[in-house]
Amino acid sequence: MTVPFHHPDEQLLIGYASGQERAGKSLLVATHLAHCPDCRRRVSTYESLCGSWFEELPGDDHAGVDALLDRMDGLLTATLAPAEMKPAGLSSANPASANPGCGPLVPEPLRSWLPEAIDTPTDDGSWRKISTGVWLSDWERTLSGTRICLLRMASGAPVPAHRHTADELLLVLRGAFSDEYGHYAVGDVAQYGADTDHHACGASEEDCICLFLLDGDLIFLGEDGHPL
Amino acid sequence: MPFSRESRCPEPSDQDRSQSLDADLFGALVHAVAQDRDRAAFATLFRHFAPKILNYCLKLGADRSTAEELAQEVMLTVWLKAGSFDPAQATVGTWVFTIARNRRIDRLRKELRPALDPDDPAMTPSSQVSPEDSAQLVQSSRQLQDAIGSLEAKQSEVLRRSYFLEQTHEEIAEDTEVPLGTVKTRLRLALGHLKRSMRNKA
Repeated sequence: MTVPFHHPDEQLLIGYASGQERAGKSLLVATHLAHCPDCRRRVSTYESLCGSWFEELPGDDHAGVDALLDRMDGLLTATLAPAEMKPAGLSSANPASANPGCGPLVPEPLRSWLPEAIDTPTDDGSWRKISTGVWLSDWERTLSGTRICLLRMASGAPVPAHRHTADELLLVLRGAFSDEYGHYAVGDVAQYGADTDHHACGASEEDCICLFLLDGDLIFLGEDGHPL
Repeated sequence: MPFSRESRCPEPSDQDRSQSLDADLFGALVHAVAQDRDRAAFATLFRHFAPKILNYCLKLGADRSTAEELAQEVMLTVWLKAGSFDPAQATVGTWVFTIARNRRIDRLRKELRPALDPDDPAMTPSSQVSPEDSAQLVQSSRQLQDAIGSLEAKQSEVLRRSYFLEQTHEEIAEDTEVPLGTVKTRLRLALGHLKRSMRNKA
């Protein structure tokens, strides 16, 4: 099994570990983590760092703490009996049912969050054509101020020139794409700052499908370089 | 310390020593809660951690009564989930921090934190990674720990304020009486230092 080559930036990993990062980008980071044992270890190292900062917080202010503890008495008694173990496997839904399309499963937490399967046909109204061989999903959701949708590139199809006013992030869910910075396969993250020039192009036999996150506005440019 | 230990061989620093003693003590207390529903053990954990959770939530913008509720909720989770604590994965302090982090994101931001499902069949397990990759994993994890350990104190402090206390650059500049440009430089240097320990990164 191959592990991802392109990882989220350090500030995303530490922000995810500390809880400073908001839900939108955390969704992308957590889904990358499902693919990437390396970043899982890094995040857990950052959690330990936060744990040591947490331990350094003053703990000698005992005023009221015993009163707080006393008020929990009822709660503790109510749960005094050991919680019954849930039979394994019964509570979780059959993962195949959440993935009506074919191909490998999209990992959690993205799988449960996606409004529909990622590989629906491009002519059934669930995709909006941007240019030949390039589509955006018809759905777009905003999570903690970050706009999220899917970007799909057919083999060899270049994404038209575009401008974005803030961070743009891609996570490859299916296939692969290339740009001037490298080759991106399943689990890889591509991160572009505002006003960065980049030219993505589908680079796998099957269509490349990416989770597409945008903080600001996205403006596709026509051949004359003016907004479409 | 008035009564210093006489040591013939190199020993961990006092701080390391007290931290590892703490870790053993708290681990044993969590174990007692899990195995025996030990109220006294829980009370000791509560007196140690509840003020820290309270402090953490207050610093992140909770009012007093919300912070108290959060402290109780987090400690109730400790009570209920003590059996799932794994000392091989984290210290008790780090474990309590992650519970507090998740609860306050939920409560103070009204957001659900997107999290991994450890039982997800679509997750790439560490065990399926090739031996070469696996060796690199261990190395890269150690490199990151080294990088954290060798951060300059001033850079580490900006990192702490920025990510743990979620202060803006302006707030850090004001609180630490350092020019805004210096705050930004320190943060950039700190992140660069950590990033260099990451493999496959330019």
